[in-house]
Order: sequence, then structure tokens, then C-alpha cells
Amino acid sequence: MTDSPRRLVTPESGGGGGRAEASPAVAVQRLTKIFPVPLHPARGIVAVKDLNLRIEAGEVFGLLGPNGSGKSTTLKMILGLVSPTRGRTEIFGRDSRLVESREAVGFLPENPYFYKYLSGEETLRFFGRLCGLRGARLKERINELLELVGLTRARKRRLGTYSKGMLQRIGLAQALIHDPRLVVLDEPTAGVDPAGSREIRDLILDLKRRGITVLLSSHLLAQAQEICDRVGILADGVLVREGHLRELIAIENQTELVIADASPQLVSEIESVINRSNAKLIERRKSTTTLERLFLEATKNDKRMTKSE
Amino acid sequence: MVVIPDSCFVIPSSFDIRASSFIGLMETRYRAFSISRILAITLNTLTELTRLRVFYVLLVFALLLIGSSIFMAQFSFQQEFQILKDVSLGAISIFTSLLAIVATARLLPQDIEDRTVYTILAKPVPRFEYVLGKITGVLLLLAISTLVMSAAFLAVLYLREQAVIHATLRQMVGAPPEQLADALREIRSSALNIDIFPGIIIIYLKACLLAALTLFVSTFATTNIFTIVVMVFIYFIGHLQATAREYWLQEHSSGLLTRVFLAIVALLFPDLQAFNLVDDIVAGTAISLALFIKTALLGIFYTTMYTLLAAFVFYGKEL
Repeated sequence: MTDSPRRLVTPESGGGGGRAEASPAVAVQRLTKIFPVPLHPARGIVAVKDLNLRIEAGEVFGLLGPNGSGKSTTLKMILGLVSPTRGRTEIFGRDSRLVESREAVGFLPENPYFYKYLSGEETLRFFGRLCGLRGARLKERINELLELVGLTRARKRRLGTYSKGMLQRIGLAQALIHDPRLVVLDEPTAGVDPAGSREIRDLILDLKRRGITVLLSSHLLAQAQEICDRVGILADGVLVREGHLRELIAIENQTELVIADASPQLVSEIESVINRSNAKLIERRKSTTTLERLFLEATKNDKRMTKSE
Repeated sequence: MVVIPDSCFVIPSSFDIRASSFIGLMETRYRAFSISRILAITLNTLTELTRLRVFYVLLVFALLLIGSSIFMAQFSFQQEFQILKDVSLGAISIFTSLLAIVATARLLPQDIEDRTVYTILAKPVPRFEYVLGKITGVLLLLAISTLVMSAAFLAVLYLREQAVIHATLRQMVGAPPEQLADALREIRSSALNIDIFPGIIIIYLKACLLAALTLFVSTFATTNIFTIVVMVFIYFIGHLQATAREYWLQEHSSGLLTRVFLAIVALLFPDLQAFNLVDDIVAGTAISLALFIKTALLGIFYTTMYTLLAAFVFYGKEL
């Protein structure tokens, strides 16, 4: 396990509205899960092996890995939905097996499929009641969250009529209903289009800004790179890399300069300076936008044109 | 040039202020057992089941059956009331049993398949409360269905009674008052007798038992179909086992092994025939208070036991 530096939690940087704690948001110690094979009790499928993890309050941690690497099983063990074969997990210092540890957690499972006979508002009311909210407090919270996830206008519509992106957003709203200090998101953008995916990304960044700890699993690496402070990479149930994203992906002996409005002469001069030194110019290219940004801009313009027509 | 907005998703600027003021209010102390959590799951289960079309179809069938029994009766009024009671109580019994099995079989597997169970159990909700909320939702649905069907049945019985009374009054114009009073008393006693009500309560308790047993089976079943098929078997075995046991004990007078085997069968499969009081009601035999209490307690015992077993199995289930 990489021993990550402790963060000082300030009101600006997070801490859940002044509820900073000594215990880490998530502590995982020697966690192992072996699923038994029916009729072969001696054999078993190792889903997670000797996993150690510590996620500090206020950070966004990405659990990355290919399909079947043990990401979802790890999250389920942290949430107490699956019991570990060995090891233990804690949420803010409380054993995950205890129901009360879930007071501090909001969870959005992969491809959630809520009760489609309920409307968005009814869904949030149901989950709010499960968390002990009622009356005016609950009503106020539902209004806030519907506004936050942009579903105020669709609040009376049944979930059966919601798009994939809308379902994901109502899922995020239900995860936040009791104002948890930790939000666990399993593949939050799986199957969502780029615009919806960006909305969810922005929501996660907003959670971080408010000091809420986020633990997410993903195999969409570009997106994880945009939002995670630290990442852990799982392969065949083993944590093969873990640490601060910048440190993990930095190439120590290379430097990038991005220059705007540089004349060809200036570029030549820079190149000649480099050539005169011991350094080596590896690549020279025009800056490009990302395909995602291009897509978002193009579809946004199309929408504007359709509206004006 | 492509201009990228900082965020294409607008977060209301007022949100933080309200959210942070909300944080202080959100500190609720966790309670190990909460009626309001169970009630939330109960009402949600009831909503789920009432919004399923199958529920209405079953009710319509039951109402049709009760209605059609009116036309089946072309006999004397005693026979007519007898057939009406027989058919209606039989229909209520079958439809509540069917509803109990079909409605309950899907509850847990569907939640697991849709991953809804993850979102519920990732909240501070003990598994026992989840199972309890589900079963009470079904029991509430069964109570409403039984009440609706019973009300329809009693209304039809009352209307037929009034029709027969009017017809008798017309036929007996000029008859001596004592003779008329006797005839009316006879009509009234053969129409509505007080034993119908404990009979209906026992039918309801039988449905509760079947719902709890279905919930228990569904905790380890992999599909709804499996649960329903197993329950249909249990339904028939449960109705036949008492008769079979008596026959077996008479024919092969009882080694220890036989008795142990039969005791196990009796424990696993509830004696559903014990809940069949319809024949007694139709025949006009009074149901003794002792029999009613004994049968009701048996129903409550089985329902509680199967619910606890379901909760126990679900508690250790890997989701």
C-alpha cells in the first residue's frame, strides 16, 4: 500500500461543512474475497486479493481496472453488501458490516434500474424516508436535489420514461438525499452520452468542492484522469498501482510548453536553443481540442439552430 | 475556433448556501429498528403491486366469478344461497392464494436483478427491516383484495336475499303473519350467517401464510418461475398431506421412521386443508370459537415462522 500524505481539510478545500474527522473516509485492510464454486468447495474464484486502501476525507479516488478486475466487488464489500472472506473495511472509522456505517454513505450502482413505476419525485421521497427524513425537511431536500441534477421539470414523470442519462442523474440525487460524507459511484458514466457524461463529471467536481469524499470505479480512463485526485488500478483482484494521479502519470524527464500566438521565427529560435543544449525536442505539433469537446460544441450548436428554426 | 464552456451543466449558485445550512439539520441518529423505514418499504411494495396489471386482472376475475354465480343458481333459494357462498368463498380463497404467490414471488428477485436492492441496503436499512417491509406490503395488498372481494360477495348475497324476500312476499300475499314471518326467518338464516366472517379471516390468514412461504422460497430461488412452480407444488401437497398422512398411518401402522418422516413433511409443508372452513360454512355448520382461534393461531405462527426464515436466509445472502 502506498502511504499517501494526509490532507489538511479546510472549509475551502472540503471536510463536509466543518465535519472533518481523524478517521479516513474509507479504510480497507487485507481485503480478500473468494467466491465459492458450486460442487467444488475446495476451489474458488478469487475476486479480490489482499487489498489495502486508505481514502482520506474530501478526496476523489478512482478505482480503475478492466471488466472483471474486482472493482464492483470491492465497492460492495466497502458498502457491506458482500461479506469479505478475509480482511476488513471501515467507513469513517465504523465497520462496514454495521448498518449504521451507511449513514455516511450514498451509493449509485452500475446501470441503476430504479422502480420504474415511481416518478422522480416519488423515488427521492422513498429513499429519503429510508434515511429518516420526513415532512418539510424531506420536501425541501427533494426540491434542492431535483434542481441540482436538472430534473425539476421531469419530477412528475415516471422513471420508465427517463433516458439513461436522466436515470443516472436521479440515481445520483438519491445517493445524495441524506447528505452523505462519502459518495460511492460504480461506473457512473457507463452507457451515458458525452453530454450526460460531462454533466455527471461536473456534479462529481461539485461534490468535491463541497468537501464530499467520492469513491468511483471506472474503466473510462480519460474521465478518471479529469476528476480523480488519486487512483488505484486493479488487475485480477490485485491492486497493482496506487497513488496521486499527477505523480503516477508524470514523465519525469519531459516538459510540455503550450504557446499561443507564437510566430514561426519564435518557434525556430526556441528549437535552436533546445538543439544547442543537451535537451532533445521529441515532438512538435499543433494543439488540438478533444473529440469530446468538439462533439459537445457541435451538438450544442445544432440544438441552438433547431430551437431558432 | 472552438470555444469550450467551463461547464455545460449549470449548478445553481444558491445550492451551496442552502445545502450547507441543511447539513446541520441532516444529523439524524441511527435507530436499530425503525417503524417509519419499514412503513416506507411497505407502502412502496403496495404501490408496486397495485400498479401491476395482474392485480386488477385477478380482481376482475374474482368479481366476474361472483357475478356469474348468480346466474348459475336456478334452484330453490336455499340451494341458490349455498351455491353463491360456495363459489364466492372458493373464488376468494383461490384468488387470494394465487395473488399471494404471484405477487410475492417477484419481489426479492426483481429487486436483486434490477440492483434496486443495492441502493436500498446501501442506505442505513437493516436487511430484516427490508424483508419485513416487503412482506407487510404484500399482507396489506392481500387484506385490501380480501376486503374488496368479500364486500362484493356480501353485497351480491344481500341483494339476492332482498330479491328472494320480495318474491316471497309477493307469493304469500294473504298468508297468515306467522307463516310469513317463518318464511322470512328461513330465508334470512340461509342467506347470511355469522360464520362467514371468521371463514373470510381464515382465508386471509391462509393467503398470508402462502405469501410468507413464497418469500422464504424466493430468498434462495434464482427465478420467479422456479418460486411459483415450487409454491404450486407446496399448495397441492399442503392440501393433500393431512389426508395422505391419516391414510398412511391407518394402512401401515406406524414404525418410528414413518412417524419421523411424516412429522418432517408436516413441518415443511403447512397443513393447508386445516384452513379450509368453506365447506363447513356452506353446509351451515357453526365454526366453534376454539376451532377458529386454533386455526388463526396456526396461520399467524406459520406466517411469522416463514418470515423469520426468509429474513434469516436473506441476512446471509451475497448480493
